[in-house]
Amino acid sequence: EKDKYIAPSAERGWNDPPQFSYNLQNARGQQKGHLTRRAAPPTSSGNTSTTTVNLKTPPTIPLSSNPLAPPPCSLAPPPRLQAGPPTTTTPPVQPGSQEEEGGGDQTQCEPDVEVVLSSLNRALATCRQSVKDQVCNDVEKRLLLLDDSWRAGKLSLPVRRRMEALSLELRAGHWDSANEIHRSLMVDHVTEVSQWMVGVKRLIAETRNLNPELLEQLQDTSVTDQDSDLLQG
Amino acid sequence: MSTYQEFIQQNEDRDGVRFSWNLWPSSRLEATRLVVPVSCLFTPLKERPDLPPVQYEPVLCSRANCKAVLNPLCQVDFRAKIWACNFCFQRNPFPPSYAGISEANQPAELMPQFSTIEYIVQRGTPAPLIFLYVVDTCLEEEDLQALKESLQMSLSLLPPNALVGLITFGRMVQVHELSCEGIAKSYVFRGTKDLSAKQIQVQTLDASAFCRFLQPVHRVDMNLTDLLGELQRDPWPVPQGKRPLRSTGVALSVAVGLLEGTFPNTGARVMLFIGGPPTQGPGMVVGDELKTPIRSWHDIQKDNARHLKKATKYYEALANRSAVNGHSIDIYACALDQTGLLEMKCLSNLTGGHIVMGDSFNTSLFKQTFQRVFSKDYNGDFRMAFGGVLEVKTSRELKVCGAIGPCVSLNAKGSSVSENEMGVGGTSQWKVCSLNPSTTLGLYFEVVNQHNAPVPQGGRGAVQFVTQYQHSNTQRRIRVTTIARNWADAQSQIQHIESSFDQEAAAVLMARLGVFRAESEEGPDVLRWLDRQLIRLCQKFGQFNKDDPTSFKLSESLSLYPQFMFHMRRSPFLQVFNNSPDESSYYRHHFVRQDLTQSLIMIQPILYSYSFYGPPEPVLLDSSSILPDRILLMDTFFQLVIFHGETIAQWRKAGYQEMAEYENFKQLLQAPLDDAQEILQTRFPMPRYVDTEHGGSQARFLLSKVNPSQTHNNLYAWGQETGAPILTDDVSLQVFMDHLKKLAVSSSA
Repeated sequence: EKDKYIAPSAERGWNDPPQFSYNLQNARGQQKGHLTRRAAPPTSSGNTSTTTVNLKTPPTIPLSSNPLAPPPCSLAPPPRLQAGPPTTTTPPVQPGSQEEEGGGDQTQCEPDVEVVLSSLNRALATCRQSVKDQVCNDVEKRLLLLDDSWRAGKLSLPVRRRMEALSLELRAGHWDSANEIHRSLMVDHVTEVSQWMVGVKRLIAETRNLNPELLEQLQDTSVTDQDSDLLQG
Repeated sequence: MSTYQEFIQQNEDRDGVRFSWNLWPSSRLEATRLVVPVSCLFTPLKERPDLPPVQYEPVLCSRANCKAVLNPLCQVDFRAKIWACNFCFQRNPFPPSYAGISEANQPAELMPQFSTIEYIVQRGTPAPLIFLYVVDTCLEEEDLQALKESLQMSLSLLPPNALVGLITFGRMVQVHELSCEGIAKSYVFRGTKDLSAKQIQVQTLDASAFCRFLQPVHRVDMNLTDLLGELQRDPWPVPQGKRPLRSTGVALSVAVGLLEGTFPNTGARVMLFIGGPPTQGPGMVVGDELKTPIRSWHDIQKDNARHLKKATKYYEALANRSAVNGHSIDIYACALDQTGLLEMKCLSNLTGGHIVMGDSFNTSLFKQTFQRVFSKDYNGDFRMAFGGVLEVKTSRELKVCGAIGPCVSLNAKGSSVSENEMGVGGTSQWKVCSLNPSTTLGLYFEVVNQHNAPVPQGGRGAVQFVTQYQHSNTQRRIRVTTIARNWADAQSQIQHIESSFDQEAAAVLMARLGVFRAESEEGPDVLRWLDRQLIRLCQKFGQFNKDDPTSFKLSESLSLYPQFMFHMRRSPFLQVFNNSPDESSYYRHHFVRQDLTQSLIMIQPILYSYSFYGPPEPVLLDSSSILPDRILLMDTFFQLVIFHGETIAQWRKAGYQEMAEYENFKQLLQAPLDDAQEILQTRFPMPRYVDTEHGGSQARFLLSKVNPSQTHNNLYAWGQETGAPILTDDVSLQVFMDHLKKLAVSSSA
């Protein structure tokens, strides 16, 4: 999961904050809370400028005019990059490690809709043996929607990638991981997935509750049918 | 003094408690002379990943009107297997299961490091969590679509066994029957007439039918997803010049009644989503004529708010009913104009529910804030807890005056209840229907020892906080925190008492008292009261020569306190005319429930400065901090403002950050964004994010908060060349301090 940060949508509200992906939000870890200090108040009364702030220290690099820079009237350019210790303590993080829209990582190949759907359908077929018809039909309906949307090119690459990962987790019996992926898709890409994702969610829930024999049956057929390449993700 | 700082911090980390005074004056008279009451901020469910809960029932004192919980302050006779209650001195035998205890083998609850301990108790069958969505359909198409998607998304975040229900409303109110069968059914109520609980129950058939409205997520998620997907805008046409007819009052009444009839005393959340004010039926806040605007503070002051009293009373009755049942009500209000939060705020304030205010449901502010309602802790459990009951016990020299926070009184009388009320008083028990790890209450005490009575034996006063609640994993738990502080004779030890002052806690506790007063008193009176307390505190603890303001000094433990009060006076919590009544209600709602650090940010926003001259540093919240070659990051809790100084803005516009040789400028621009990220990722509610610059219209967010040390009035008088002048007639901190000193040292005060 390389996605960290979802690009702001075109129609953002006024002063709308940036949107973080599900995975980024959940990877909270220990909060440093480092933005909590206050500057000491002025020690002598009535004197406003004797503060702890460096108000008048000149920049360490002499400002020189750069003939190559666009000449905005009398604006001197900022200090240039110099070899030396960085002037800010926080290392820069590229903000937009955006969605990989095809052009990014070439080593992973395009997810195969056939493979993904056949995994899901195989799980469904196994469920039919013990789960109510109506529920299974409902799930099937939604898997068809997923199939259609995918083939019609309506699903973005991150969604296709994550569905591939989800189907692999499901095949391997990693129910919690599969669920996490479903949740991340609902949170980050609800518009694309809401119509059919609840069917996938139900499929995971019903499959994990299958009795052990049926589950074994499902997992045996999964292994024999597929390339080992794909199982390595 | 560094030792008190450490002591204060350790206690907050371990027990979630910050007291205004950490040495207590031993007489009532001396306590009142200290101006700031003995009081504390208490976070009942402070996150303690290092505290494993114990799986047994707490041991209680056997005296009927005591029932304090066994704690590290109790004297224990390990041989006779007897313990002495430190609150009432009753000697109690240990239960049989404690037969094996000894000095070397003590139960956790006796160990000092377990001054806060949590018990898991078995109390009947665990009840599922309940989520009842109440959705306004009088929204713009785009907004409704975004809201529908957020609700569908939330179904994926709910635990599979949770019960879920849906009520939609516009002109009519519809309760949807959730089933796994094909046909969708709903019961419709007219939005104009209020219904009693009885009427709702009769009209929607018997109790068994009731259950069809609240079903487990795992059973109905597919159908409910479809149902939500198919929701349409309210079909009643809205004529030109009119508002949609929105029956919020009846919708809430149905919701509260439904839960009351099916699941009283179980953790439940009513989640109300609204895109505009109630315009018909009981609880209406404004009529449907657009030419009649919704009430402003000005209208209220002139007694020109027709529906205010009646609507407030209506919602207060609903809120109290809900609180009695242990059900909380959240309000998610997204609209460009006001939605009636002023009248409806009690629904959340009394029950511990959230209020989220945004411009539209189609914003990342709403979407992410809503996601965070379902955030999970380090154990994978929801951060929300239900059915909280907080009881406070005190040693006999102290009494409880009241609490300020998202709670209601349980009217528990007793010997520890003071007749002087501060906040919600007259009780030693409160109900907090919904709470989370940051929910913090302000608790106020009174010292009742008579003057010149000897300092009590053992020299320490004690307070025990017992919080019973339903954990999000449905377990019932009891968290017990027992603390003690030394008594001190104010006559001889005033300096020690002074050095035990926690100015941050005191500022927040006094501020909460101010906000509480502001609900029922006139604004200027509240400010006068706050000022009066500050002057008295300075008179008591200031070091000065009479009538010589320039000699005035405060010791380190009080030095920041006047500044906090200065900013509090100018804050949106007490200055309402710059905001709508809904905005003021929203700000106050969050102010009286946050922990100390966040509350202090709200009172006095944090300001950090970024430049080429060194690492980022905190700077004074003052106009002199606004400089052309700095970037400022301001956190007010509700907004994160990144302000680019004039030169920085020009450089940015010129595009220097794109050039390789100016990589450090790019880094400089990025630095505040990175620092803001942690806050943006974790804070609830998510703050607004303002990226602005010198001369930008949004710069007013920064300019209105900073101390106007340079204004158009005094710019040339001070002869300052640096800093941006502020166009205001507000008094500056310097002028405020000067006045304060004059009043404090005056022998005629």
